[in-house]
Amino acid sequence: MATVLDPPTDKQPLVRRTRSTAPGGRRRHVSPLLAISPFYVLFAVFGAFPVVFSLYLSFQDWDGIGDMRFVGLQQYGWLLEDSVFWHSVLNTFEIWFLSTVPMLFLALVLAFLLHSQVRFTGAYRVAYFIPNVTSMVAMTVVFGSVFAQTGLANSGLRALGLDGIGWLSSEWGIKSSISLMIIWRWIGYNALIFLAGLQAIPTEHFEAARVDGANSWQTLFRVVLPQLRPVVLFAAVTSTINGLQIFTESQVLFQSTDVGTTGGPGQEGMTIVRYLWQKAFKDHQFGYGAAMGWLLFAIIAVFTVINWRLVAGSDHDDRAGILRSLRRKKGARNGR
Amino acid sequence: MPHRTLSRRRLLGASLGGVGGALLGLSGCGASAGSASAGSDHLSLWYWKGSLSDELLATAERGVPGVSGLKVQGAQIPDSDIDSKVRTSLSARAYVPDITVANSDNLATFFPDENEFLDLRTLGAESVRSEYLDWKWKSCFTPSGRMIGFPLDAGPTALYYRRDLFQKAGLAHEPEEVGEAVPTWEKFIAAGKTLRAKVPGKPYLVSNIGNVFQQVLLQSTKQFVDADNRFIGDQAHIKRAWDLSVEILHQGLSARITDGTPDYNAAMSGGRVATMTTAVWAINGLKDTAPKTSGAWRLTTMPDGPANYGGSYMTLTRYCRDPEGAFAFLKWLLSPENQLKSYQEMALFPTTPAAYADPAMHTSDPFFGGQRPIDVFGPAAQKAPVVYFSPYEETANTPFFQELTNVELLGKKPDRAWRDAVNTAETTLSRLGVS
Repeated sequence: MATVLDPPTDKQPLVRRTRSTAPGGRRRHVSPLLAISPFYVLFAVFGAFPVVFSLYLSFQDWDGIGDMRFVGLQQYGWLLEDSVFWHSVLNTFEIWFLSTVPMLFLALVLAFLLHSQVRFTGAYRVAYFIPNVTSMVAMTVVFGSVFAQTGLANSGLRALGLDGIGWLSSEWGIKSSISLMIIWRWIGYNALIFLAGLQAIPTEHFEAARVDGANSWQTLFRVVLPQLRPVVLFAAVTSTINGLQIFTESQVLFQSTDVGTTGGPGQEGMTIVRYLWQKAFKDHQFGYGAAMGWLLFAIIAVFTVINWRLVAGSDHDDRAGILRSLRRKKGARNGR
Repeated sequence: MPHRTLSRRRLLGASLGGVGGALLGLSGCGASAGSASAGSDHLSLWYWKGSLSDELLATAERGVPGVSGLKVQGAQIPDSDIDSKVRTSLSARAYVPDITVANSDNLATFFPDENEFLDLRTLGAESVRSEYLDWKWKSCFTPSGRMIGFPLDAGPTALYYRRDLFQKAGLAHEPEEVGEAVPTWEKFIAAGKTLRAKVPGKPYLVSNIGNVFQQVLLQSTKQFVDADNRFIGDQAHIKRAWDLSVEILHQGLSARITDGTPDYNAAMSGGRVATMTTAVWAINGLKDTAPKTSGAWRLTTMPDGPANYGGSYMTLTRYCRDPEGAFAFLKWLLSPENQLKSYQEMALFPTTPAAYADPAMHTSDPFFGGQRPIDVFGPAAQKAPVVYFSPYEETANTPFFQELTNVELLGKKPDRAWRDAVNTAETTLSRLGVS
């Protein structure tokens, strides 16, 4: 089906055209380069330099003020032996799995419903997106009372005749409450991405499916999903990158100022970034924190590739899937 | 069209010029003395909201009384950011404040970099020593003997208790009586059992055992790491605090609630927790949390005696443009008279005992049934022990608090939790050069 949707090969002439219209000496390049330089200057100072510096830092022992001491790979060696670090890695993955899988699924269903919804679509889209731009710290205060022992969540469970759960004082309670917050925050964002992908699917396909007698679920799974693969890949990759960097939820849910609850009971809410922050900015071990940051980078890189493989499947051409879906969207818009 | 191009170019040129100018400006300032106040007519001061008197700072901004031509301008930094901001400016050697406030558990973390701060003895600090609490004064010194902090406020501790609940349990319930009836932690636990058995609603003794651990710890002159940089957290003084906390849990006297959570607020206003073991600065928090319990609370001496919990310091960085002037400012701001004003305005508990005698501090508080808090906190502040805090206390005690939480909330075996805490602390500290 993908081949049918491939846009006309307009790439080549486009490239040739830009080349042919860019003659002249270096002077002609000066003003456009100057025009884009503010971004590059700021990026070099606040983006590129910290990245390089943190790599340098991960080979040093430094408390943030005094002299640095070169320690080679010692920080990495310690890190690999650190049981709290591995616990935080496990927690992060458990929370990531608990949040990302249901979230992407629900976001897809939501997008599908939004796509077929006719009235007030704009209002729904805004409503679903609002959690994403709400101050996380303010929301954690609200969730703090929702998940309290005598809070809303437990009142709801008791109303259903179930026992209350120690949302913030048991292993899976902690992980579920953090996951629920992540789902709440990101579901609207991902639904919007899926919605954009859905709108790029030609209406003929839906009509054809309807004529063939497919119901909504069949349309979703047989028609929509296969064509959404690049968008799903994009959503899965960004959710992985975000999900492995969970910080705020656990940080604010378990008050950082109280040393007794760093990461919650049993440190079940301790995520990688939360531990990095504690080591670097509370214990002043900046080299250790930097090394942790780079290990996290490696983990994210590995999982991005795995995601890519899984979602892109055996179809190797789909590696360029995102680009193609964007082009497809453009084509669809032009077509209307 | 040509006109539009021109204006766009101009805009570009102007903005690029602006960026370049800003960068030049940054490097230009950074190259000079390194003080945040370089090139101005005042000294810069970093503090967080509530740590200093606003009224006295407003005066200092116009001119510090008694020091001609000296002005100090304060900049409010959020208390969660001030430590990293100070560290950032010190490592950059630029925009460093002349004067800064440091938290109680924060001052010691600067000990390894003590040369970044001025030794206040060289500015004549000894001349005012007699005005300040002895233990507070001694805590301003690094192990090598430099005085890098100046006493700001103190955090004397007391036992906050519900008079009504103690009365219902048939226990001694007036402050002096309770102080005499509960002189030790063991007696405290016994009182807790009586409360739980006899009072309707079965109130708990404490909200959580971490608070008790903290208090027993602060009553000890030794903490987790000694002045010779040795780990002593596996010794008897820590084990005693641990065992007492675990005993309270085993007797079922802990409500097992984390402080500051909605559950805590509900328990405190609902009278489900009968005591609080904490410092003077917790008064306002309690009033906000449980306004309905006003009049029911009383204060008395902490079991096993008072200690100090919290309280801040002021420091002068080595980039300070005018050390003599800055120290004159500290002496003025933290003099007994002005600490008294700070107490009245901001509830900052003075580190100058002379202020405790002042009638202005002897006001009675209806929240405590008309009791005068100073009657308990004044003597407590004077009796607090001299404690050495190493730069690594928070790193060292974190595993212990965590494991106590595990015992309390997850039912972990106390012996195993203790071993895990000691091992984690030892490993972490050995990487910081503590043996």
